[in-house]
Amino acid sequence: MPALLEVRRISRSFRGLQVLRGVSFSVEGGAIVGLIGPNGAGKSTLFNIVSGFLPPDDGDIIYAGADISRRSVPDRSYAGLVRTFQTPQVFRHLSVRENLMAGCYKQTRSGVLANLLGTPGSREESRRMRRSADAACEEFGLTAVRDRLAGELPAGQQRLVELARAAVGEPRLLCLDEPSSGLNTEEVVQLMNALQRLNAQGITILLVSHDMDLVTIAPVIHVLCFGEIIASGPLRAVQSDTRVREAYLGV
Amino acid sequence: MTGTLILQSALAGITNGFVYALIGLGLAVVFRGTRIINAMQGEFALIGGMVAYVLLNRFGLPLSLAFLCGALAGGALGWLIELTLVRPTRKRGASEEGYLLLTLGIAFAISAGVLYFFGRDARILPGIGGEGSQILFDAAIRTHAIWLIVISGAVMLALRFFYTGTLIGLSMMAASIDEDGAATTGINVPRMRSLTFLLGGSVGGLAGVLVSPLITIQYEMGLLLTLKGFAAAILGGLTNPFGAVIGGLTLGIVESLAVLTVSSGYKDVIAMTILIVIMIVLPDGILGRRLRRGG
Amino acid sequence: MPVIARVHEANARLPLLKWAGALLVVALWAVLPALASRSVTDMLVFTALYSIAGLGVSFLLGQCGIVSLAQSVFYGVGAYSTAYCCVQLGWPSAAGLLVGIGISAVVAVAVGWPILRLSGYFLALATLALAIIGHVLFLEWDWLTGGTLGIGGIPPLSFMDYQLNSPQRFYYLVWPIAAALLWFHANLLRSRNGLAMRAMRDAPAAAAVLGVNIRILKVRMFVLSAVLGSLAGSLFAHYVSFVSVDSFGVDRAINFLLLAVLGGAKTIVGTVLGALFITIVPNALSRFGDIHAVLFAACLIAAVIFLPDGFGGAIARLTARMRAGDSRS
Repeated sequence: MPALLEVRRISRSFRGLQVLRGVSFSVEGGAIVGLIGPNGAGKSTLFNIVSGFLPPDDGDIIYAGADISRRSVPDRSYAGLVRTFQTPQVFRHLSVRENLMAGCYKQTRSGVLANLLGTPGSREESRRMRRSADAACEEFGLTAVRDRLAGELPAGQQRLVELARAAVGEPRLLCLDEPSSGLNTEEVVQLMNALQRLNAQGITILLVSHDMDLVTIAPVIHVLCFGEIIASGPLRAVQSDTRVREAYLGV
Repeated sequence: MTGTLILQSALAGITNGFVYALIGLGLAVVFRGTRIINAMQGEFALIGGMVAYVLLNRFGLPLSLAFLCGALAGGALGWLIELTLVRPTRKRGASEEGYLLLTLGIAFAISAGVLYFFGRDARILPGIGGEGSQILFDAAIRTHAIWLIVISGAVMLALRFFYTGTLIGLSMMAASIDEDGAATTGINVPRMRSLTFLLGGSVGGLAGVLVSPLITIQYEMGLLLTLKGFAAAILGGLTNPFGAVIGGLTLGIVESLAVLTVSSGYKDVIAMTILIVIMIVLPDGILGRRLRRGG
Repeated sequence: MPVIARVHEANARLPLLKWAGALLVVALWAVLPALASRSVTDMLVFTALYSIAGLGVSFLLGQCGIVSLAQSVFYGVGAYSTAYCCVQLGWPSAAGLLVGIGISAVVAVAVGWPILRLSGYFLALATLALAIIGHVLFLEWDWLTGGTLGIGGIPPLSFMDYQLNSPQRFYYLVWPIAAALLWFHANLLRSRNGLAMRAMRDAPAAAAVLGVNIRILKVRMFVLSAVLGSLAGSLFAHYVSFVSVDSFGVDRAINFLLLAVLGGAKTIVGTVLGALFITIVPNALSRFGDIHAVLFAACLIAAVIFLPDGFGGAIARLTARMRAGDSRS
């Protein structure tokens, strides 16, 4: 399958510190790809560049054949590139259902005026959003907490809400930033199942994680260290690579 | 438009600029110590000027003593407000907006209070050196204005030394940057916050007594002073006193010169527009350091 | 808190009681001008006007997280547009209203686009600066506004030949308008843009990732707020028939903000409660003279400290607790 995402020679520095040095890798459509590396390797920076929160100093991001390096975050979202955050960014004062309805924003069109007047079109849209949200609740096992405020849920469920919210918008590429941080082992297993289910539906997944258990769902792993990809391949191969061992154990 | 007129305006602008810088400094003091943007800073100036006026005219105190008391009154008010109003707000976990609304409310309460007790009339205080002026290239600058500039400069230097060189100053900064860390090293964090407001209030009160002989004091002056001081403070990155001076001078001079070309009624429009432009274009100050949130 | 969600639940559980209560309120509203004195009716007219303008501030605060002190400017634009168009140009009242809304919208876009990039206290202070600028311009541009002398002789609104020139008659116009606007707002909150707005308040980065263009949405909401202020201002001009610059200063802006904070920015009923408060209390306090301004500011302070969610929030919490108590028994 052709590459859905191509990261080409991305470089980025902060105040004189070179954080990324010509990073290149690609993510095949329909794959699950993992990105691992020791702390300070530049994973968050790379992620922010791919998702549009930071511009690169140099290099390109090619997504579905088009150069999106300068496109805004909402633009990338409409193209199907969605990300989650290291700390779960649920909408705290909205219920779980409302969170998921917000996830349908891209698929709806009505303008502010129509919304104000409560036109039939606007109402129908709201009903559709509600149905999609309820279906996603079912799928992710959130029906029991559907009407609770997202901010009141424990971290594991907030993660699921965030994931469900991203999924309900029918993304093509889902970028997950440390999705298992703050989760216990049972919740990590739940997360892995959910991700594999989404992947089976055709969603490509790019995963940044410290968690070696979580990362087993990714057939391909890239290792980022000091701003460079130092190894790529299946997890086993990468774990036995001498450079990777040195990087993790420290030189 | 003669050169003398321009010079006269520039001198007035420089004088005003130092006042704005002082207010901005007070804002910076409070921000450094508590991370709160104090919308009532200008009211400290109002109270300082009013207290000095009352002490001078109703109690016959000598000028310098009245001035000193005015400044201290600002400090006392600041300390009192922190104790009775800011602390309960903190305890209930207020957001950034909450503190802003609180200080705005207090600003309006003080302004309305002054209106109630003193009416709408403007008051004026005698300056240091009386009505005397010095002549500079045919332009006149009041002796008091020169004193204002000197005193302001001295206060700024003193504050800089205070924050970098004294234990209390360093403790105050530590308490705001990292509360828990500061507490474990034995710093009394609540007291540091009270001291911050005391210091900020005093600087505000001082600004008030210094400015009151030059412009009149009346119940409405607080808010505009606060906003103009804020403009000065932002240019200093909210923490650098020298930046606040440059910011204040810029605002003061542009304001005064602009009044030469347009009607004086637009003075505040120009000042407020400058403030907005500064916030948008130079939110980190002229030195470009990211030391504040919000913007 | 998702008051909408909770109201839906309450609806489901106690439909009869809720309808009876609503009918009672409407009935009371309808007969009030006949029973109450002229001054009380006048106060309630102002409550409606302030509800409209206050809604603009309230939803920006509660649903978008924006503290706006600029509403007095748009209120003034609406009032002066109506005054100028009807008195100086002799245009019909609808024209004045639309001109006011048009100018307010343009101004909101022009100033909103640059300043809404700011957030937190920078934004709040920028709106305060705008309020001051607006007030000074209203004063200086006396060829347009009449300056301190103001503009008088604004004709009352009339339908066919029926003139709305008394509090009682105006009451029956302004409250349905206010109710309609509140209903529109409720529609908005339930819709995609309303959700986007609330999402933007809670987690802007996550909202952006869902496709929401934060900057454009903020500007749109600011324009909406301005339109509400302008509409209220135009109605105000027709009601009082004389406008002067004193009504459009910073204390007016503070009043609107107080309404939002005190009433509870996150609920719709809170806006009306806040409006009631700022019309009734100054009246009640006016017997104490000028000190009422101090007491008023004291209320803002107390509201910020003790009632961060305002009356509306406190009521919502109370009803939630009552229903929780119900379900347990």
